[in-house]
Amino acid sequence: MKILIIEDEPELAKSIAVYLREEGYSCDFAADYDEALEKIRACNYDCILLDIMLPGGNGLAIVEELKRLKKDAGTIIISAKNSLDDRIKGLHLGADDYISKPFYLSELSARIFSVIRRRQLGNVNIIEQNELKVDVLGKEVTIHDKPVLLTKKEFGLLLLLISNANRVLSKAALAEHISGAGVVDFDSYDHVYAHIKNLKKKLHDGGCGNYLRTIYGTGYKWEI
Amino acid sequence: MGDMSKLLNYSLRKILICAGIVLVLSIPIYYFAISRLWQYEMDEHNVMLTTEAAREDSFLIIGAVTLLSVIFFIFLLGALIVMNRILSKKMWQPFYESLAEIRAFNLNQPHDIRFKKTGITEFDDLNTSLEKLLTANINIYNQQKEFADNASHELQTPLAVVQSKLDLLSQSEQLSDAQFQLIEEALLALSRVSRINKNLLLLTKIENSQFADKEQVNLSAALEELLSQLSFYFEEKELSLHLDITPGVMVEGNRILLEILLGNLLTNAVRHSSTPGEVHLSLHADYISIKNSGKTPLLEEQLFKRFAITSSTTSGSGLGLALIKQISGRYGWKVEYKFESGFHEFRIGF
Repeated sequence: MKILIIEDEPELAKSIAVYLREEGYSCDFAADYDEALEKIRACNYDCILLDIMLPGGNGLAIVEELKRLKKDAGTIIISAKNSLDDRIKGLHLGADDYISKPFYLSELSARIFSVIRRRQLGNVNIIEQNELKVDVLGKEVTIHDKPVLLTKKEFGLLLLLISNANRVLSKAALAEHISGAGVVDFDSYDHVYAHIKNLKKKLHDGGCGNYLRTIYGTGYKWEI
Repeated sequence: MGDMSKLLNYSLRKILICAGIVLVLSIPIYYFAISRLWQYEMDEHNVMLTTEAAREDSFLIIGAVTLLSVIFFIFLLGALIVMNRILSKKMWQPFYESLAEIRAFNLNQPHDIRFKKTGITEFDDLNTSLEKLLTANINIYNQQKEFADNASHELQTPLAVVQSKLDLLSQSEQLSDAQFQLIEEALLALSRVSRINKNLLLLTKIENSQFADKEQVNLSAALEELLSQLSFYFEEKELSLHLDITPGVMVEGNRILLEILLGNLLTNAVRHSSTPGEVHLSLHADYISIKNSGKTPLLEEQLFKRFAITSSTTSGSGLGLALIKQISGRYGWKVEYKFESGFHEFRIGF
């Protein structure tokens, strides 16, 4: 899986690459508009991370160019603006997702995971781990072929954990994920434990193995 | 205006009192002059009067003088009032024009302020000074807005860098629990900074009159939707929720802003309630009220200021109420706070 990171802040690009390489992706960089255009014309990427405030041009034009070139790459817009206009414009132009700075690398990785799977057909959209089956698109979970009912937030958490399997997720990252969804800006730091507890219980009651581990006291890890 | 007097009346009163005094003082002088003249004429023609007739005459003179004085005073008064009205209105016209201009001025929507040339040095001086003062204010205000906007934009990227580095650090092999805790605590503080930053950006955007598009929003439905999103937190904090929502309450406004408004009202209630506690929520055609149980009343004059009531024990950004105030103010709604029998109440009248 090849990923292009279009980001003018080198330190941020480096962090993203370090995290993603550990997940098994190979990463390319582009630091300005022209370099980005050059790279998307020359190579095929599975996913493109795009900072829309780029030196040399508007990142949204790159989304248009990708569409014109008929490149089949998933696009995730990274923006410092957090402006709704950009979000709507970007998604309208054909970007697959939008994430605003600052973000957790685990969150980004989960988004990439989903975007890549959404673009591919077939069974890739179903993650299987022994008795557990997670349908990423259908948002359904079955254990031993029996459905388990999860709330929207629990499903989101499970997906975040699974897409960052074998990595440590801090409570802060989980809290951000939980509160990040709606307009409600709720600091759910204290509620992470309760959410995790509910999720654990539902998985356990369904007969799922204990893959979700607590680590270092406050961190969590999904083990494969 | 109360018992304050208008400029026009002020000068008029002074003039009238003055004229009155002059006229009253003139009565004895007239009397003295006329009676001396009368006496002189009498002596000239060797007319002798009985003391009785002389007294009668002096009464007559006093009467005539007083009557004439009063008549002329009334004429003078009428003329003065009319003159004063006409003159003052003309003279102060430029002043009233400038006043209207300043009254209509709103720092949030500054239009180019231009005072008319009056041709009167004093007023022209005043207007030039006002123009200078207002222009300076508009500039400072714009700079401040721009600064807040730029600062929060510029902060996003370094924040993202720090967060990503901490994130990577937490992935290192062989961390001790204590080391991981340190990273967690740093991430927690950082997430608070980002939240403050996001809300500051949002406030600046509202101040810059973005979110301009309006539509009819079903507030009842939006509230129900938010409540379902937040139900988890109500349960977690053992808050019993008492609802009194009229279905189909429609208000005109920007959907995103209204959702932010409702969201902040609800999260505040959850965040600042005692555990276990109670939340009463009513929404009707003309107002929304949210009450939550609490111990001590909040300082009202501090309440809606930015960062006024933040403390390290509450995890809010300190901007929630400022946002509520800003959004309500934009639609001309009134926000009231009350503390009554162990409940904080926030009420917004549409």
